[in-house]
Amino acid sequence: MSESTIIWVHGDNLNPHSAPFQTAPDAPAIFVWDDALLEEWRISLKRIVFIYECLLELPIIIRRGDVAEEVVQFAREHEARRILTSESPSPRHQFLCQTIIKHMPKGSRLEVLREPAFVDGAEKVDLKRFSRYWNAVKKQAMR
Amino acid sequence: MSRDMRRDFASREELVAYLQQEFPQAAQRSPHVSETRGGRRAAEARLRAARYGTEYERTRNHLDGQVSRLSPYIRYGVLGLNEVREYALSHAQRRFEAEKFVNELGWRDYFQRVYRELGDDIWEDVEDYKTGFPAHSYRQELPEDIRQGQTGVRFIDDAIRELIETGYLHNHQRMWLAAYVVHWRRVCWQAGARWFLEHLLDGDPASNNLSWQWVASTFSTKPYYYNLENVLQFSGDRYRGTPQNFGHEAFVGTYEQIARRLFPNITLSDEHHEPRKGRR
Repeated sequence: MSESTIIWVHGDNLNPHSAPFQTAPDAPAIFVWDDALLEEWRISLKRIVFIYECLLELPIIIRRGDVAEEVVQFAREHEARRILTSESPSPRHQFLCQTIIKHMPKGSRLEVLREPAFVDGAEKVDLKRFSRYWNAVKKQAMR
Repeated sequence: MSRDMRRDFASREELVAYLQQEFPQAAQRSPHVSETRGGRRAAEARLRAARYGTEYERTRNHLDGQVSRLSPYIRYGVLGLNEVREYALSHAQRRFEAEKFVNELGWRDYFQRVYRELGDDIWEDVEDYKTGFPAHSYRQELPEDIRQGQTGVRFIDDAIRELIETGYLHNHQRMWLAAYVVHWRRVCWQAGARWFLEHLLDGDPASNNLSWQWVASTFSTKPYYYNLENVLQFSGDRYRGTPQNFGHEAFVGTYEQIARRLFPNITLSDEHHEPRKGRR
């Protein structure tokens, strides 16, 4: 049984070949400009233009406002119970994921997809200084 | 009902006009638009044009060196780190010659990993300052002459203008500017990092904040600083001449002399006076 899916694209992965697009190439996709974030961080016009140009090359709908609300609304419009998105280290992304799933109908899923890692096994490396990380992963990075 | 934003633009000018209208506060704060174009097509063109081997390694620290300028595309994931690495390794004359470039990609991966561990604490000092000054002695706000690019120090003001107008700075300019803000003007790194994030096309809290902390010494064993000789060595001929004519007096001297002026409360060991080689 096919399940209706949408993709939520965010600013840490604007790659047309990202894992969500590979997983569900025909799914409707959305990007939402985070109005609160733009003002809080006083993001300049040149950054907005650059990102917008990246968005124009993706098969997506572009909206603005409250990110979680807009994503939930978009899912509702497409009667989707499954949302795919890309991983991000940003705490705000994690907060948005939690908010979105809280407001989705019961039984909905939000899947955070990872891209292949730059190097494997680095989770065990001491990150106190770059030199320690690099010494541990260099061989693999150059493979 | 949510309104979709426009996707049909006949030209870049039309797109910019639309965005000026949609985001008036951003346009009012700083009206500049970068010549660097966003998007996968532009990213791939840049990927093909970049140099990855010995030419990159030899010239990358110079302001007019063969740097890739791929960072804005990598920051938004338009290009994945792995695909850039594969491209670099297969396009250097010999694979091992791309090591310096791949090492730079490693910095990006490293900073992302540290960010994942720190979360919002990426805005806190990871360690104490090692400058002989307590954290509270650093100003919280960025002085207006820095924000406006009117410090009277030519190479600094030029870098600020470039930052504001293009959203891009060569890594050496980032380090000079950051060290100027933190060590010469004693402003906390957070104020500088926030300001960079307003403007840099590749601005991202991981690489940006941790690099500022590296300069400040809150994420390294010693502060980063430099002298005029270092600036002259890497900026071509643009600042040759009498330092006074460029407002460069505060940077004249050996590393030891500069360190004594900037950090009078501490004694840096001899190795600290050696100029750092290139990036970090």
